[in-house]
Amino acid sequence: GFFVGLQFENSCEIGVFSKLTNAYCLVAIGGSENFYSIFESELADVIPVVKTSIGGTRIIGRLCAGNKNGLLLPHTTTDQELQHLRNSLPDQVVVQRVDERLSALGNCIACNDHVALTHTDLDRETEELIADVLGVEVFRQTIAGNILVGSYCAFSNRGGLVHPHTSIEDLDELSTLLQVPLVAGTVNRGSEVIAAGMTVNDWTAFCGSDTTATELSVVESVFKLREAQPSAIVDEMRKSLIDSYV
Amino acid sequence: FAPYIQVEYIAVMPRKPTSRGMLQNPPPSTFSRFARSQALIASAYRSKRKINKSKFYKKSRSNFSGNGFENHASDENSEQAESSDEDFDGVVQADFAFFDPKPSDFHGVKILLQTYLDEKQWDVSGFADLILGQTTVGTVIKVEDDEDDGVYSVVTALNLGRYKARNKFCTISLSQPAANHDHKCIEEIKEFLRKSCKEEDIMNNLRSYLGEQAQDVGLLISQRVVNLPPQLLPPMYDALFDEVSWATEDEPTEELRNSFCFKYYLLISRIYKHKSADQQKRQKSDEAIVYVKPEDEIFHKVPTFTEVSHSSASDSFNLHLSSAPGPSVSICALSSLYLMRQEMLKDYQLMGLVMAVEASKVQ
Repeated sequence: GFFVGLQFENSCEIGVFSKLTNAYCLVAIGGSENFYSIFESELADVIPVVKTSIGGTRIIGRLCAGNKNGLLLPHTTTDQELQHLRNSLPDQVVVQRVDERLSALGNCIACNDHVALTHTDLDRETEELIADVLGVEVFRQTIAGNILVGSYCAFSNRGGLVHPHTSIEDLDELSTLLQVPLVAGTVNRGSEVIAAGMTVNDWTAFCGSDTTATELSVVESVFKLREAQPSAIVDEMRKSLIDSYV
Repeated sequence: FAPYIQVEYIAVMPRKPTSRGMLQNPPPSTFSRFARSQALIASAYRSKRKINKSKFYKKSRSNFSGNGFENHASDENSEQAESSDEDFDGVVQADFAFFDPKPSDFHGVKILLQTYLDEKQWDVSGFADLILGQTTVGTVIKVEDDEDDGVYSVVTALNLGRYKARNKFCTISLSQPAANHDHKCIEEIKEFLRKSCKEEDIMNNLRSYLGEQAQDVGLLISQRVVNLPPQLLPPMYDALFDEVSWATEDEPTEELRNSFCFKYYLLISRIYKHKSADQQKRQKSDEAIVYVKPEDEIFHKVPTFTEVSHSSASDSFNLHLSSAPGPSVSICALSSLYLMRQEMLKDYQLMGLVMAVEASKVQ
């Protein structure tokens, strides 16, 4: 399912204050308890929901990048925050601090569990780290001419939403790279900054409160949220983990 | 957190008040919509011309301004306010223009309204929609030929009585947000004001402004980016009060015409209040109150106002009721404006300020 009407202190940019993957969910400290409790009530049975700051700030969704395999944090992350995240996240999630000049990793990297799109000017070492820690294939890309690929698209293992001005050719190319269906659209009543206005994983999505009914129907269909069952997906993940240990 | 124009410059303002010549607007000779739009354009051009004059004035001063960059309007075609490393020399050219609010201004106006109340969640989106829905009274200031179509200022007056109940003809359309948008934003504002007011005598006045007198009260909303050139303020307020008076004659129904016959304007704003009220503890040069918006100082001096202060941080607030008659100050007499810097403000506490001002004194 998915959830609408979310606000973080009167801001609909909930993708700025949260980060959702198939294995964990991060939520910014501060903001009302309401914000945290919505995530907790929906997810807590299935994956851990962790309150944190990054570098003392609340804009955690834009500073970090992650998937079920790992979490990449900017160099501004404090030691305490790093330790807190390592303690709170499942053991199989590798938490790694990255020494990259472009420290807003969430704006520079968009990824699911298999593929990542990155800012074209990212360091070579960072690219290798992404491939290692997140276990993904990395592609340097732009989206509708924007280099902040992490801001202008959001995709899961099942589908993706990209900047509304993405051309058909670019959509096809990206879709081939990512191996998921893509749609160009908006959230929060025409906002092009997709990843700031929503956050999504394979079975659920959370959208800011300005999102219109049309936008919601697009989100629901491209991410295939209607038939998604969290337990089935998490069971599959567990099975694949057990297989790899055996 | 205050919204700001994302260009790198500091506006250096002349200390003397700007010349008053530009503010003696001749009343429009006809009351048609066409004449009104012409008058608005004329006043925008007037402000541009005057800004040019003060540009020359400032240019002669710029030698003494030290690290000051300048921003000024020019009558050439405006350039986009980019800060490219090669050509950026600290001077930004911008042609500001006044527009009627449009639905496409939603995001810009919403950003300006984020700080209107405190940080508790309320229906900012619905409030923005309300403002944009009223095209006869209300102005947004944007830059001409701006790619981003950014909204730098919004000013309007909403009748508290008109917008109190949910419009029974409101239909849910796919282009409207999924959340329910009746006029609960106005109710939330009223509730916020009631909660901020704890003194009984002010509470009675407030209750009547929000209750039985609501039909005569206009909520005067004026939100802008922090560094909007202050030369734009007098024509902006002139435009607002002109539009209000035109609306009392031009609106199609009698109900609408009457809804703009405001007896009072209610303003919600911010001030910095010195932490020690005692005169002796303060330095002589420190003001007791620093107004974030300079026009608030003028509104504050208008006789017979009610002031309710509320602190955004905690829920404590001071209430002052003043009935002392003061000089009737014309809106155009702006006193000197200065940029507030953090170290200057260390002795001050940011507080909210709510004023109810008699309409006849400001129009």
